[in-house]
Amino acid sequence: MTDVAGLNDDKDIREIQGRVIAALLRHGTWLASATIGAGLAVLWLRPMTGTIPFGVSGVALMKIGVALFIFLPVLRVALMLFLFARERDTVYTAISALVLAIMAAGFLSAI
Amino acid sequence: MASGIFIVPILVFLFGVSIHTAIGASLVSVIACSCSSASPLLKERLTNIRLAIVLETATTLGALSGVFLVGIIPTSYLYWLFAAILVVSARQMLLRRREMAPTTERVSRSWATMLRLHASVPDEARGAAPYIVGSVPIGLSLMYGAGLVSALLGIGSGVLKIPAMDTALRLPIKVSSATSNFMIGVTAAASAGAYFVRGDINTAIAGPVALGSVVGAIVGARMLTGLSGDKLRNIFVIVLVLLAIGMALGGFQAHLKT
Repeated sequence: MTDVAGLNDDKDIREIQGRVIAALLRHGTWLASATIGAGLAVLWLRPMTGTIPFGVSGVALMKIGVALFIFLPVLRVALMLFLFARERDTVYTAISALVLAIMAAGFLSAI
Repeated sequence: MASGIFIVPILVFLFGVSIHTAIGASLVSVIACSCSSASPLLKERLTNIRLAIVLETATTLGALSGVFLVGIIPTSYLYWLFAAILVVSARQMLLRRREMAPTTERVSRSWATMLRLHASVPDEARGAAPYIVGSVPIGLSLMYGAGLVSALLGIGSGVLKIPAMDTALRLPIKVSSATSNFMIGVTAAASAGAYFVRGDINTAIAGPVALGSVVGAIVGARMLTGLSGDKLRNIFVIVLVLLAIGMALGGFQAHLKT
């Protein structure tokens, strides 16, 4: 075995981080997919019922769903920032903050 | 792998969508695929989370550059760049990925050591097989290029990430695939977010495409296991080459129009 000192110390932390991030991505994917699916359903149902079901237009629901998908990775980086900060891991808190700042710069530049 | 690369040509050729609209829709579906497939890989502890966030500084910066460049680059060039990437993908598919001989020496002053990037993969025989991460600076510069191409063409750029991770960073194949897939979501969101704010993403197209690719990824994974690897590889290579020819011709068409 090679010398991988320090590896076992933070193995548990990595495992917990992995689980928390996995949960966010799994639930986020479901929520965004369901929102888009609901939007499509509304679009199809509308000609039959004549009214807008649930009071939201299908186009608006799809837009929300797409926005949720785009926002999910941003949330993932924010979650990592929080997890690293909680472990008092200064280097990785700073790296996560940098990624978040670059993403924010992209959004802001487009306004 | 490499599913995002088909979305833009399909939307352009079959649905007559403009290449810019197709790129926006494809980016959203790339995010959707990355997020939906990340969870099992994280649970199997194949994703190197720290390495991902380090490399994401470069991929998001590349994506940001792409967002600024996409308005300046003539449309015909986008078609030709896409054709070139398709050819590179076809070539990569023909060459089998080989596991690099793992480096066992820890370079005490390397970036990877200082950033505590070395980790281990679950191994049936030994419980855990440790691996040493290679050159981070080379990895970062290649990732910048991958982020740039991703923003310009609306693809995950797996084709550029995989050589970087296999050759420069010397990761085990499973780790490199899982980590690359994990990063793609953040990379694509950096450019998709900007396009969304600009109003360049047509949600009526992007929504169904994203939903379709999440469902397709689940169904496809089950279907593909039934086909032999070699047969599948050949089909992919032929389709990629045909799409490359189509995109190259599309480029000439766009060039003549301007």
